[in-house]
Amino acid sequence: MTNHWCDLQNSDCIMIVGSNAAENHPISFRWVTKAIEQNGAKLISIDPRFTRSSAKADIYCRIRSGADIAFFGGMIKWILDDMAVNPGLYNMTYVTEYTDLSFLVHPDFKTAAENDGKFSGFKPGENPDYGTYDKATWKFQKDAKGIILKDKTLKDPNCVFQLLKKHYARYDPDTVCAITGTDKATFLKVCETYARLTGPAGKSGTIMYAMGTTQHTKGTQNVRVYALLQTLLGNMGVAGGGINALRGESNVQGSTDHGMLFHLLPGYLTPPSAAEQTLKSHLDAKLAGYATADPKSASWWLNYPKYYVSLLKSWYGDNATAANDFGYAWLPKTNPGTNYSHIALFEAMEKGTIKGLFCWGQNPVVGGPNSAQERRALRKLDWMVAVDLWETETCAFWQEPGVNPADIQTEVFLLPAAASYEKEGTISNSGRWSQWRWKAVKPPGDAMPDLEIITELMCKVIEHYQAEGGKAPEPLTKLRWKGWYDAKPLPRGAKSLVDLISREINGWAEAEIKNADGSVLYKAGQLVASFAQLQTDGSTSSSNWLYTQSYNEKDGNRQQWRDNVDHHPAGIATFDKWAWCWPLNRRIIYNRAAVDLDGNPWDPQDFVIKWDKALNDGKGGWVGDVPDGGWAPMNMEGTRYPFIMKPEGHAQFFGPGLADGPFPEHYEPLESPIIHPLSKTQHNPAVKVWRPDEIGTPDEYPIIATTYRVTEHWQAGQMTRNLPWLVELMPQMFVEISEELAAELGVKNADLVTVESKRGRIQAVAVVTKRFKPMRLNGRLVHQIGLPWHWGFQGLCVGDSANLLTPHVGDANTMIPEYKAFLVRVKKGGAA
Amino acid sequence: MIRGVLVDLGRCMGCRSCQVACKAWNDNTNEITVCLGCYDNPPRFSADTWSLIRFDEVAEGDQLHWVFSKLQCMHCEHPGCVAACPVGALEKTPQGPVIYHDERCIGCRYCQVACPFHVPTFQWDRPVPFIRKCTFCADRVSQGIEPACVKACPTDALAFGEREELLVEARKRVLARPEKYVDHIYGEKEAGGTSWLYISPVPFEMLGFIAHGAVKMGFPTLGPERVDKFASVAMSVVPPWILAATATLSGLYWFTKRREKGLQARREAQARKDGQAGHEEEA
Amino acid sequence: MTTAQRRQLPIGTAILGVLILIGLIVAGYRYANGIGAISNLSDGRPWGLWISFDLYCGVALAAGGFVLAATVYLFHLKKYYPIIRSAILTAFLGYLLVVFALLVDLGQPWRIWHALIYWNLHSPLFEVAWCVMLYTAVLALEFSPAVFERLNLQIPIRIIRRIQIPLVVTGVVLSTMHQSSLGSMLLMMPDKLNRLWYTPILPILFLLSAISVGLAMTIVESSLSSRSFGHHVHLDILAGLGRAIPYVLGLYLVVKLGDVLIAGEIGLIFSQGVHSVLWLVEVLGGVVAPIILFSLPRVRQSPRALFWSAVIVVLGLVLNRFNVSWLSLAGRPGIGYAPHWMEFAITVGLLSGGIMVFMLANRYLSIAHHAPAESG
Repeated sequence: MTNHWCDLQNSDCIMIVGSNAAENHPISFRWVTKAIEQNGAKLISIDPRFTRSSAKADIYCRIRSGADIAFFGGMIKWILDDMAVNPGLYNMTYVTEYTDLSFLVHPDFKTAAENDGKFSGFKPGENPDYGTYDKATWKFQKDAKGIILKDKTLKDPNCVFQLLKKHYARYDPDTVCAITGTDKATFLKVCETYARLTGPAGKSGTIMYAMGTTQHTKGTQNVRVYALLQTLLGNMGVAGGGINALRGESNVQGSTDHGMLFHLLPGYLTPPSAAEQTLKSHLDAKLAGYATADPKSASWWLNYPKYYVSLLKSWYGDNATAANDFGYAWLPKTNPGTNYSHIALFEAMEKGTIKGLFCWGQNPVVGGPNSAQERRALRKLDWMVAVDLWETETCAFWQEPGVNPADIQTEVFLLPAAASYEKEGTISNSGRWSQWRWKAVKPPGDAMPDLEIITELMCKVIEHYQAEGGKAPEPLTKLRWKGWYDAKPLPRGAKSLVDLISREINGWAEAEIKNADGSVLYKAGQLVASFAQLQTDGSTSSSNWLYTQSYNEKDGNRQQWRDNVDHHPAGIATFDKWAWCWPLNRRIIYNRAAVDLDGNPWDPQDFVIKWDKALNDGKGGWVGDVPDGGWAPMNMEGTRYPFIMKPEGHAQFFGPGLADGPFPEHYEPLESPIIHPLSKTQHNPAVKVWRPDEIGTPDEYPIIATTYRVTEHWQAGQMTRNLPWLVELMPQMFVEISEELAAELGVKNADLVTVESKRGRIQAVAVVTKRFKPMRLNGRLVHQIGLPWHWGFQGLCVGDSANLLTPHVGDANTMIPEYKAFLVRVKKGGAA
Repeated sequence: MIRGVLVDLGRCMGCRSCQVACKAWNDNTNEITVCLGCYDNPPRFSADTWSLIRFDEVAEGDQLHWVFSKLQCMHCEHPGCVAACPVGALEKTPQGPVIYHDERCIGCRYCQVACPFHVPTFQWDRPVPFIRKCTFCADRVSQGIEPACVKACPTDALAFGEREELLVEARKRVLARPEKYVDHIYGEKEAGGTSWLYISPVPFEMLGFIAHGAVKMGFPTLGPERVDKFASVAMSVVPPWILAATATLSGLYWFTKRREKGLQARREAQARKDGQAGHEEEA
Repeated sequence: MTTAQRRQLPIGTAILGVLILIGLIVAGYRYANGIGAISNLSDGRPWGLWISFDLYCGVALAAGGFVLAATVYLFHLKKYYPIIRSAILTAFLGYLLVVFALLVDLGQPWRIWHALIYWNLHSPLFEVAWCVMLYTAVLALEFSPAVFERLNLQIPIRIIRRIQIPLVVTGVVLSTMHQSSLGSMLLMMPDKLNRLWYTPILPILFLLSAISVGLAMTIVESSLSSRSFGHHVHLDILAGLGRAIPYVLGLYLVVKLGDVLIAGEIGLIFSQGVHSVLWLVEVLGGVVAPIILFSLPRVRQSPRALFWSAVIVVLGLVLNRFNVSWLSLAGRPGIGYAPHWMEFAITVGLLSGGIMVFMLANRYLSIAHHAPAESG
């Protein structure tokens, strides 16, 4: 999230889209309810289905699964048109000064409007519908000094503003509604309500989104289009604003922060590619993307080398020196062009390329896309180590009904893990708050915390390497691991393993660090207080620069703080002394955009930060939240632009960093019921299609399906389908279908039905409901159904897995699977 | 002062934290359930399920509402179950909860019949059965702590406090947002008033009457009279009746006995006269 | 007894014996496995056959005891003396049926006496419980001379004779209380009992109908006894009972209709669907028809006609009690109920037991041909 949970209550209009917050993040509704009742906020729910969130909304707006960009592109067009007529109802200063709307783009750049759905530079692959982009034209025009050319009047035909207008000109309400299936009056009502309630300076709107947004072949662009909308309305960086991802698990923020995703190192650093054989080559390649000639742009990622070296130092300890590139050679390198995503892993497993798997607290048999393929893949493995609380469908994949265990050669180990209350550690919530959790009970039997499992396991592996040698032992034997995590006593005064790792994440001075005047800033082994103090010379270590300050010398472990008093002078509920958030406990990021050029907040009553001239002996200073860079306001000396992570310090409407285009463009999901009318480019041209033979077409599979979660069950169900009180609430796999579809199929409520896609078939109990309705797409009535995906064949309560139906295709940028929009057919009766 | 709970159906989002909290606090067993074609489960109260959420899809014109209703014992001000129980096994405590005394119950189930909300449940499958229902967490309330369900609710749809203050709060909410609530506080007057009060986005008659294969449970339309109004009048007549009836019947006996005796005497006198006459004739 | 009758008895007795045995086995199953195991009762419909028939009808049909006791001892109508013992026996067995039925229906029947120590003076059922307990004791005492005679124990007989009148007065007062309070119990359900029946004066209607069915039931029982056991009951006695019925039922009808009129609910008689039908059958068939029938001298002169007219009154009363405690008393909407065969087994077993005891009593004790004792 750019903001945080408690901040929701400050909003003037809350939009829940691609999310069912009341259902899956019920505690968030405490804050939503406060916004509605105490702040007079309106709630808008945009969803294919009338959900538990829609039940609380002022406006419910139906949208077909997979049509977000059409909808929001339409909203952007509406606002752009309205801005021309009612500029006073928008924060034009924000839009002109803090965003790249005034920047001039390469004259040869073509928007998708001019290029039949593709941007300039498309290079088709084997299949002409898919390929990659040559981004030569996706650049800004610069002057001789390298400063970007701008037109603050926003009239130049090459300025981003005009290109945006051109791009979204096709997204008029009638076209939009033909694509999304939305009722036009409701669409216009959403546009007007959101624009009026959040557009003016001093007003804020927030977008709460989740997997309904991200789990599409254009998921990244779905999020981007929200960011565009919010930026256009001046909602970024302000209280009650921002784009707020409701993370799908309680600690997935922690997992992405600490580099659990295939394309990340901790702190959102990048794993090196095999083409970058030296540290310098890697750092140079990264820095090239952040170089800026504008002295007012902080381009904070230019500090990347400090974080990278500190990371290497924390991993390889004393073995990392300037002479050996701090151990860079020992880091595994990615093969350029190879895809290491979840889908790719399972495809490789099925081919036999990957022979062993550590499956850590994960249940892909139920939760992975194209579950049948993933089950086949597991059966091909030589070995698998599963770490879990229960024997899940994945841990016991050979017990799948209809499978003969005798045919499977995989050797499977199940290591029992401790549950969250049986161990200590941190959980990072969607709001970037890292909160310490204490141990309440001892784990049962031999169950151990994951941290201990992996440290012990790797100590043993390293022992084997040390004793027996083997292929490329140094990446492991040189780690600061054996002799560190198993040392007695633990190093540097750590009280426990998790305490040691927590300190390690924050970072130490590895050597004495002096101030400019020669006085000692840190002795060796002291905890560092800020990522600003991290160095490129190996004198600091930090396993995650974002978390530096979380556990520092002066304050100790701030993640354990529990002061529930709102100390913010405007009372916007930042709770700055409750736990600690990154970066540097800044609760609302990009908050320098929450003030005007003089440092006065757009919303004086609910300000985030404001400039007080009298502070610091008249030099001035910021009051409120931790400012997103302590520099003076824009109109003063020494200032910086507010969006400090961007190379140009401005919010990016024009985003050349993405694989599928600098502007979000609507494309149909891989399996779609219509030919969309915006262009001839039906699908996202930058996606990888793994199984072209497994794509369903509307003639065979005429119904749109989506998957989602329910309050009562959790993810792949291993926890909740083993708890009797939860099984009681929702005992069976079900599918929600409209009354109209039920009538067509002759299905009565609670009948068994069979749902089938190109990839598989499941049975479920029919829940016939008023909350789904057929939608008119391109003039034709199309049905949509919805499936919870929590069920599998193990546990107290069993049922068919919805993911037997979903496709093996992912987002063009992140590879997140397209769970949310695919095609099926439904018939009455079970699938015995 | 009587405590109560205000249930704001406008805030409730049906997450069922309250339902599970009730199970957890009371350590009630789970029931074996099947999907009924709706989210409701279990579909009705039982000896193991004292509080549950009803899901109602209500169409008002072209506006769809999905209303989630928390149902449990209403803890009436003048409970029918308390008046009905022959052995006083149910008791309305001064703090508000209507509690049940295991040790008194004979299992006659009159409380179940008397309850206008169909709340009390019975352990039909046990050789030694008891009545079970929501206790308003009397053990917590007596310590000044809110019930488990109230504590668990994330949106403060449940507010625990003095009944009078809750009525004020309910009126405030209804008046502040007339487009969001119907102008009725259910439980203010129903059956003489209940400790659990409700405000709702749709009329109460529209809730709980959509069968969906599940049993209809909802908000019965009730008048403002306490259910034991006439029964208590009848019972208060008993002592005077005993006196009056005894007196009347005794008097009746005495009177008819006297008449009987009188008739008997006259008959004997007549017989004697006849006998004399007979004698006289013979003589 | 004739040889023919002696031969008849064994088959009848055998059947009764089997029914009693089945009842006992089912009861045993109930005690082991709970009420749910032998019934279709549920939280939505917690009272069924046993309450409607065994309790509500059982108590009403046993009203002959107090009605005849009042007639003979308080109104001093000696004419009815010959049937008083039979009536008392019928009543006594009727109340025993009620108690045994409760021993099955109550969740914890070993606690049946709890009302003695746990009081709720507001509860009509508390009053019913006490009155039934006391009145059953009264009936036992009133019947006991028949047993003592057989055992030739004179002293207890003399004691009973001495307290005869207070016993009768107590019995009648207790009966008026609990016969009406069974109606008061239903006052607790104003929203569930159909408005055709619900009225604040329901207790009065219950008492009046109990008195009339007490009279009718006595006619029925006497007629059956005279056929079965061969003793002759004078037509005059039956006709006398029959002559009283139209007055009592007439008063009942006036009060019932008057109440409906005054409440302005006369329109309900035709607007309540199946409940209207039930009400009309109950009133026209069970009240109006007998009033007419018993008013006809032709009927009162025929033992057969008297018997069947009395049967109609009994059926009408049974329908009334079923209506108010089951058929027109709403359970939870959507919950159905039809008695399980095992519920019937219990009731039939109890009835069989009662009939069996009645027969045995008539065989071994002096029930009929009871000589008028010295009046107290």
